[in-house]
Amino acid sequence: MNFDIRRYVILAFIILVGFLYTFRLFYMQVVDDTWTLRAHEVAEKRIEITPPRGVVFDRNGMKIVSNRTYFNLMMVEDEIKNLDTVAFAKLIGWTVEDVRKRFKEIIKGEGTYYNKITGKRTSNYQKIRKYPFLKELTLEEISRIAPHLENFPGFYEKVTSMRNYPFKSGANIMGYLSEVNREEVESDHFYKPGDNIGRSGIEKFYERELRGRKGIKYIVTSALNNAIESFADGKYDTTARQADPLKLGMDMIIQSYGEKLMQNKKGCIVAIEPSTGEILAMVSAPSYDPNLLVGKRNISANYPKLALDKNMPLFPRPLQAEYPPGSIFKLVQSLIGMQEGVITARSGFPCDKSLVGCHDHPSARNVAEAVQYSCNPYYYAVVRRIIQQGKKKGIFADAEYGLNKWHKYMRSFGLGKTLDADVSGQRPGLIPDSKYYDKWYGHHQWAFSTIRSISIGQGEVKLTPLHMANIAAIIANKGWFYVPHFVKSIGRKGPLAIYRTKKRTMVNEQYYGPVIEGMRKVVNEAGGTASMARLDDIEICGKTGTVQNPHGEDHSVFIAFAPMNNPKIAIAVFVENAGFGGTWAGPIASLMIEKYLKRKVSDKDKEKRIIDAKLAYISNQR
Amino acid sequence: MRKEESLISHLDWPLFISFILMLIAGMTTLYSVAYNDLHPSIFDVSMMYGKQLIWIVVSLFLGLLVFLIDSDIYRRFAFPIYGFTLFLLVVVLFMPAVHGARAWIGIGSMGIQPAEFAKISTALLLAKYISSISVKQQNISSVLTASAILLVPMALILLQPDAGTFVVFTSFLFVMYREGLTFDPIILSFVNRIPGVRFKETWVGSHFIPILFVMIFISVITLLLNSVQLDFFFLPFPVSGSIGVISTILIFSVLSILFLQRFSAKRERSRGTVIIILGFVFTSGLSFIVDHGFNSLAPHQKDRIELFLGLREDPNGKDYNRNRAMAAVGSGGLLGKGYNKASVSSVESNHVPESETDFIFCPFAEEWGFVGITFLFGLYLFMLIRIILIAERQRSIFNRVYAYCVGMILFYHFAINIGMNIGFAPVIGIPLPFFSYGGSSMMSFCMMMFILLKLDSQRKDVLR
Repeated sequence: MNFDIRRYVILAFIILVGFLYTFRLFYMQVVDDTWTLRAHEVAEKRIEITPPRGVVFDRNGMKIVSNRTYFNLMMVEDEIKNLDTVAFAKLIGWTVEDVRKRFKEIIKGEGTYYNKITGKRTSNYQKIRKYPFLKELTLEEISRIAPHLENFPGFYEKVTSMRNYPFKSGANIMGYLSEVNREEVESDHFYKPGDNIGRSGIEKFYERELRGRKGIKYIVTSALNNAIESFADGKYDTTARQADPLKLGMDMIIQSYGEKLMQNKKGCIVAIEPSTGEILAMVSAPSYDPNLLVGKRNISANYPKLALDKNMPLFPRPLQAEYPPGSIFKLVQSLIGMQEGVITARSGFPCDKSLVGCHDHPSARNVAEAVQYSCNPYYYAVVRRIIQQGKKKGIFADAEYGLNKWHKYMRSFGLGKTLDADVSGQRPGLIPDSKYYDKWYGHHQWAFSTIRSISIGQGEVKLTPLHMANIAAIIANKGWFYVPHFVKSIGRKGPLAIYRTKKRTMVNEQYYGPVIEGMRKVVNEAGGTASMARLDDIEICGKTGTVQNPHGEDHSVFIAFAPMNNPKIAIAVFVENAGFGGTWAGPIASLMIEKYLKRKVSDKDKEKRIIDAKLAYISNQR
Repeated sequence: MRKEESLISHLDWPLFISFILMLIAGMTTLYSVAYNDLHPSIFDVSMMYGKQLIWIVVSLFLGLLVFLIDSDIYRRFAFPIYGFTLFLLVVVLFMPAVHGARAWIGIGSMGIQPAEFAKISTALLLAKYISSISVKQQNISSVLTASAILLVPMALILLQPDAGTFVVFTSFLFVMYREGLTFDPIILSFVNRIPGVRFKETWVGSHFIPILFVMIFISVITLLLNSVQLDFFFLPFPVSGSIGVISTILIFSVLSILFLQRFSAKRERSRGTVIIILGFVFTSGLSFIVDHGFNSLAPHQKDRIELFLGLREDPNGKDYNRNRAMAAVGSGGLLGKGYNKASVSSVESNHVPESETDFIFCPFAEEWGFVGITFLFGLYLFMLIRIILIAERQRSIFNRVYAYCVGMILFYHFAINIGMNIGFAPVIGIPLPFFSYGGSSMMSFCMMMFILLKLDSQRKDVLR
């Protein structure tokens, strides 16, 4: 029998396998990406270098927010050998149980990965990766630990940076940073677990401008996770870049001076440079040292305390407290009345106390005197004329028409809406329109008599202190304003575009004169309500307000600008439960103005009286 | 003097050159994969490449000896050589285990693996035995004797244990098949006991080896497609995997019958048709049984089979090696990452374990890409086909059987080793000839090749 033909079976078999393998390899290497991606996953690593956050300067070039070096104690489980837990716990000042608990916590914190194919759940924790065992150690703490780390292989230090506030001021305005949550990591690829993000205030609003650019390095790693070389000779690497510094319009000197004046009081101060709209100071009292909320350790220790404090130091009053404005609202009412032509600068109304209560003063013969005396009946008359213009048939339709017109004017003053300042967490306040009252009383069920308390800034009307300061700025500018903002420049760029656009009110320039004259009288003439705010060499124009408070002592409010002929500063001071506006808010404003314009205060007694005063302040000490 | 002239003029240069090319390619790859910045010299004997170079030099020296010695001694001393390696295979079982296997005689890296040399001695004895019996003498006892020559070293190797080399020994079955030494006589002795049956030959028995591989192939394909719904362009609805396999076989069967009717001699036609129909029934039945058998397995058994076939992934567990190896191979792309640029499979990065020995195909594939692999496969195929051509031109049966043994051993090593890297073969540790780091395998493959070249150069001297 001849078996020679069988050589072809064998040959065919060899060639078949050869072709099969060639096709398979063609598929694996050229067609299918799966294995290439898998190789990247296995052998390459992305290292991110987070730059320090951008720093912040005040208008005089003082660094008010900087960064400080901290240290993390890192651990790599695979490198840990014969750990003497007792000695280690002693070194870091923990108990042995705490150390064990921390190990478990790290593993748990990494979460798990669900494999859809096998249906198995595996931990993301890897023994060969670095994890922070202790975070945010200060230089003193690490210098106590670091020299002994050679006895504990697998542990080493790593430098990191966190915020530092040398002035301990402006906490509520600057805001604070905290670790990103899972949603933030998922929605923005910039962030990795453990990164910090601006949580409130300017830090939140300018998050993108402050966070800078991360440096990314791709390296080829070994199975033991050691770096071997840079990937593709660093072709895809980017260097880390710290963000350009922010320069604020804020003047740190009066900011911290304002905080000192407001100590042991509740309320706020907002100061604006009228010509630019830059916020010079924004004091929220009570406040806290911003360094208390730097880093995870501090936040977990101090945040609950601050959040539970009955004086609410975390509450950014200038942005979020919505108060009835009280008498300062009369300024805007005068302007609208004149613009609408329902009064002239020379209109006089008797002080008819049967309409509404008033203090004793001569009847106002013109707008300036009305402002000076802050005459309640006068403004009843004015606002009635604005609301009830007699242009529509029937009192209700007429009131609806008038109120909506009035509402439009108010809107042009930036009231009844958020001001779009560059800080997160502003409230809109409230300026009612016809729809608002329709909801309460029903359509055509209300007229001026129903809503008359709005004429003296009570009732439904609500403004934030930022709104109030902006009114002062508008009057100082005679009819226009820039949206109040903090940031003067970002690196070499100026402020954002919306802060470079002049906004005009619906009231013409000529009507501001009488109101300003009235405000001058308020401070500088006998019979004015704020003589305590008077300064010898600076002509301040102001207006007091006393806001009725059904829950307790009235609030004291004062808005002003100065100097009269060349306004450099517009200010609003609001002191809760302090009674008459002229007594507390007025002097505080004058001290702020003097400090800002002259850098020193002449009346030390006044200053001392204010600083020492404790007004309606709930002591946390028992 | 005359002898040396005849050696040079009678040497099979194509095979010799492809062999040398393979050695160069292997050495180059090893240098790249094990490259160390601190010891850049290829002659640095503290590094793997320095050592491998020594092994190659030693192998070439042994080759020179083989060329100088008369080839008759392999035939004459086949049995003593075989006996000596069996002795070594027994001795090795009393040696300390390295990585869980008692495969080494000697200390550390200077040891040798007798199993590598057992392949040559078994090939020689098998050649001697087969050449000693005539075709007519092929009966149960000759089949059993030939099988025994294989089974004794196989059993000893399994005791080490070394599953890889054990599997390689089954390559001799191909050689026996080529020589007509099949299990047919055994099957006939059973079949012919049935009254009235008087077969001279069963087709299944004599083609047992190819049929076995067809069975394995069909089973694996069926299992791979077990949970897949196939969309055929000519069918409006998807079909299950086994149906797809069966219908593919059906199409091929019908095509072969048509081909047969058209082109073959009349005498062959009916017989061929019957064989194809029976083949179809058998293969589709097998596919059906495998499919249903698999579905009725317990989940953990299924799991194990699926892992083995690569249907299920366990990239950081049982499947670690293969997963990393396939990642390295696949990431090579069309043109590769360039010489000395294997980022996944270099020894330094160590993602692919054993990338200098069993998985050395990885760095080659990673660095040279599909283009490089095409060249390598071309070289392999050329070498194997050349060996078979050489085998078929021998006048002596001893030479032919030995040449087939060398060809099939190399084929097994290539196919299984590369198969490991691309998910086609289970991960059993066998070296890639001429590439993998290691003295025993290098010397064994070189000796094998030199003996073949020597035998071939003297093929005209005598008729054995």
